[in-house]
Amino acid sequence: MSTGARFSPGKIFPYVLLLLLLLWTLVPIVWMLLSSFKSLTDVLSPTPLLTFKPTLANYIGLVSGGNNVLTYFRSSILAAGISTIIATTLGCFAGYGLARSNFRGKRHLAFWIISTRMAPIAAVILPLFIGFTFLHLINTVWGLIVAYLSFNLPFAIWIMNAFFADLPPGIEEAARVDGASNFQTFWRIALPMTAPGIVTTAILCLVFSWNDYAFAVTFAGPGSQTLPVAASQLITQTGVDWGQLTAIGTVVALPMVIVGLAVRRYLVRGLTLGAVTGE
Amino acid sequence: MTRRGFLRITGAGLAGASLPWLAGCGGGSGSSGASAGGREWKRFSGMTINFISENTAPTSAIAANLTPFKKLTGISVTIQQLELTSLAQRVALDFGSHSGEYQVIYADPYQVMAPLHDRFTDLKEFMEDSSLPSVPKGTGDFIPTQLDAAGHFGDRLLALPYDAPTMIWCYRKDLFEKYHNRMQEDLGFDPIPSDSSTWEQYYRIAKWFNDNQDDVPYGAGHQAKQHDALMCDFSNVLWAYGGDYFEKGQKVGKLGTTDPGPSTLDSPEAIEAAKLYKKLIEIAHPGSTSWDWNDLGEAFGAEECAMCPEWHEFAAAWEVGSLKGNIGYARLPKGPARSANHYGGTGIAVNRYASEDQQKAAWLFVVWATSPEAQLMDLKSSVGGGTPTRTSVYQMPEVKHNKNPLTNMPNIVTAPAVLEAWEPQNIGLRPKIPSWNQCDTIIYSQVSQMLTAGKNPEDAMRDAKIEIDQAVKGVPSAI
Amino acid sequence: MMLPALVILTAISILPLFYIIWMSLNNLTLLGGTGISSHWTGLGNWGLMFTDPGVWAGWLAMVIYFIATVGLEIILGLVAALVIHEVVWGKNLALSLILIPMFIAPVIVGLLGRFLVNPTYGLYAWVLRESGIYGGNILGGSVSAFVAVVLMDVWEWTPLVALITLAGLVSIQPQILEAAKVDGASYLERLRHIVLPSIAGIIVALLIRSMDALRYFDIIWQATNGGPANATKIIPLRLYESAFRFFHLGYAATIGLLMLAVSILVANLFTGILRQRGLLR
Repeated sequence: MSTGARFSPGKIFPYVLLLLLLLWTLVPIVWMLLSSFKSLTDVLSPTPLLTFKPTLANYIGLVSGGNNVLTYFRSSILAAGISTIIATTLGCFAGYGLARSNFRGKRHLAFWIISTRMAPIAAVILPLFIGFTFLHLINTVWGLIVAYLSFNLPFAIWIMNAFFADLPPGIEEAARVDGASNFQTFWRIALPMTAPGIVTTAILCLVFSWNDYAFAVTFAGPGSQTLPVAASQLITQTGVDWGQLTAIGTVVALPMVIVGLAVRRYLVRGLTLGAVTGE
Repeated sequence: MTRRGFLRITGAGLAGASLPWLAGCGGGSGSSGASAGGREWKRFSGMTINFISENTAPTSAIAANLTPFKKLTGISVTIQQLELTSLAQRVALDFGSHSGEYQVIYADPYQVMAPLHDRFTDLKEFMEDSSLPSVPKGTGDFIPTQLDAAGHFGDRLLALPYDAPTMIWCYRKDLFEKYHNRMQEDLGFDPIPSDSSTWEQYYRIAKWFNDNQDDVPYGAGHQAKQHDALMCDFSNVLWAYGGDYFEKGQKVGKLGTTDPGPSTLDSPEAIEAAKLYKKLIEIAHPGSTSWDWNDLGEAFGAEECAMCPEWHEFAAAWEVGSLKGNIGYARLPKGPARSANHYGGTGIAVNRYASEDQQKAAWLFVVWATSPEAQLMDLKSSVGGGTPTRTSVYQMPEVKHNKNPLTNMPNIVTAPAVLEAWEPQNIGLRPKIPSWNQCDTIIYSQVSQMLTAGKNPEDAMRDAKIEIDQAVKGVPSAI
Repeated sequence: MMLPALVILTAISILPLFYIIWMSLNNLTLLGGTGISSHWTGLGNWGLMFTDPGVWAGWLAMVIYFIATVGLEIILGLVAALVIHEVVWGKNLALSLILIPMFIAPVIVGLLGRFLVNPTYGLYAWVLRESGIYGGNILGGSVSAFVAVVLMDVWEWTPLVALITLAGLVSIQPQILEAAKVDGASYLERLRHIVLPSIAGIIVALLIRSMDALRYFDIIWQATNGGPANATKIIPLRLYESAFRFFHLGYAATIGLLMLAVSILVANLFTGILRQRGLLR
């Protein structure tokens, strides 16, 4: 950067780029937000309206009538939340176990674990569906939780493994020399040091589960449908209620955005360690 | 603007409609139907059954109004509404795992019933069971072409007609009147849609609108997205020119079969139709190639075009605001062979994998949901608006002599046009065969290539025929 | 320690995998017969698949889509990360805002994209038309539709790449940068020292994106349904249709297995690169 004038091109340029990036990112979101407060005639206006009479009708519509969005909300929270908690917990245990183990097939096991996440969803649905029917998990929130584990768990193990592998061994060795058991070393020493990793894992698992559509549409029933499914239900035989759809889009996006932004510092730190030396 | 959405906003949606059941007979002569509420209805009290449906008008109306059924039978119904592809997926999975989770199924005749036809119970079993309620006014009350198309597969009756969207010619009456004299002079024929209108005339009318006025940007709009909608739109022209997907295609469409024979898409009539269709889209609103029926409905409602072939139930969404009363509905134009109006109705069916008692409970729901009273309720419902599939409902005084149809039953203004469209010689029926989904995809993919990738009509039709023949044989391929 | 997780993984992943392999060796359909009628065909499905022009077309579209989306995401993500790293005022706010798209469900992104480019009421369609840049129907032409869905995907996932890259940047010792500045190095020269270490981050981002790129088709499904003229019909979409529209489950399983194999190969490729650069243990 030049040491020249305060508003030299060198200094301005990043801000210009930033502005462009922000425009690119935010215009669709702002438009979605604005549209959710427009009446349906305004939403469908051929000339985009920046000034209009705002109405809460779309949001009210979401919570009244047959398809109350609050039930979907509850299902989404339960399915995504519980699955994330299970995945992160088991992921920590397994990740630690994997990082600290030293057997011959270790790299292959690690690769197998992450490769289970790569299976195409449409192919996996049928065997899972048959299994779930057998276990009476269809149309239940628990079915969704287990289905989400299929991609959350490998992901959690993979990331936590990277974090644990990255910890300096000295501290743990010292603890063990002092007489700490394996579990205590894990619980008291290793785990706290990987806090950013845990947060990263949890957030990403939460986001992927919350945003899932394919599994929800397959395994969820009337009592357990999640928000993304609700969005697609607004596509009816005689019209797409874009007003309500933008409202639902906002409702679906908002919680994840809030959560994600609240922990973004952890995310940045978290992905540092994982990113540069991840397995 | 969807009427349903509009009314939901104003809170009118929650009001529902008055329910005649408990007060005795509704319209029509009292029959041992839904209104009687005898003991035969109460046998399965306490049960819960599941109904999976597309997000369609009658289902929304029923979902907003399940209390009468509960009071009548004591059965609780949970309704799950999904968009059609997801519905097909859920039903397929349900059948594949024999779970019988959904006892009542919205069985789209082409995408769900035909491929999975042996997983539904033959409804005649219930009709012959004297301990169960019978269909009010008998099955003869259903419009005959609909009972065949939506209900039958081969000689089994698998569903009762539930909804009946049909493609008709929708046009701006006000604009046609405004420019009537000039058009008549320039074109040499009366442009107002009538029994003698042809597709060639339609083309010239569309072109006239493009070149000679400013009220709307384009004359015609179409649903020509690479989607089921394209196959629906194209079929009208195909049939009008005497072409069809298979030999005796209309019979295949009416009753369904597992062996339709070789495809006839390479016939000269079909190719002629394809050429005309390509011409039509070339001068239609350019948005047409990315519009499905919803997008087209929105565009017409936003005054983007003067006319379009569209599903008649969109009338409810259009007849609000400034367009109210300004839209005309007619049978689609005819080709050298006939006028063909694509039928897209569906029936509701019973899942064979449910337990015997559950199936009987499901039968109760099927009878009730397609009864004259339910259909009247749906027609009047502010969250519904679907047109009845029973002749008797159209004869009811309330419907026939309705002074204000646009306000409380907007879809009934299309009745003259659709009743004509449902005549056996005018109705357009796509093939009801197990491999239809694959054929559908082949057809709309090839036609889309003809429209947007410069493929010529002969090649498109010939390639489609070859691929369809393979598909019918059961050869898998990722079209 | 690893046992509970591994048991669950096995149940959810390995058993289904065996079932899928079995499915691919059978002509499994829901058409006719009761339950799932299966009929052993050995490698029949595999033979059909490798000679199916639809499958090849799907893979071709997939490869182009993958390169375009991931390529753009890497470039834009890197630029975004550099910009955020570089600016002084409003850094946190900028990061927060730029991250938002990745938290929105792909289904919603597809619908939102469709909403924005619709010729009747779409904001972007209107802007492009009025400014004279493009007056045609965006989702109605093969090329423009493809570009549109690529951009929708890029819009959603660039933040993830930016985040991972930024993480790499943040970990660079500031002293090195200071020393370079003192030495009078220009921005471009310093960029080299910055970019190199963050390449590891980029490759990890590539890895994560490539795992998911082959699985997700929500955006395309909602926006174009694979059209027009099959232009955007990438292979996951064809898999879904084969399974749940045509009910050719055995054939779909075959396509799925090939997709899994390719994913694993690609992942292996990237891990190999990371290992080569001594960034893995």
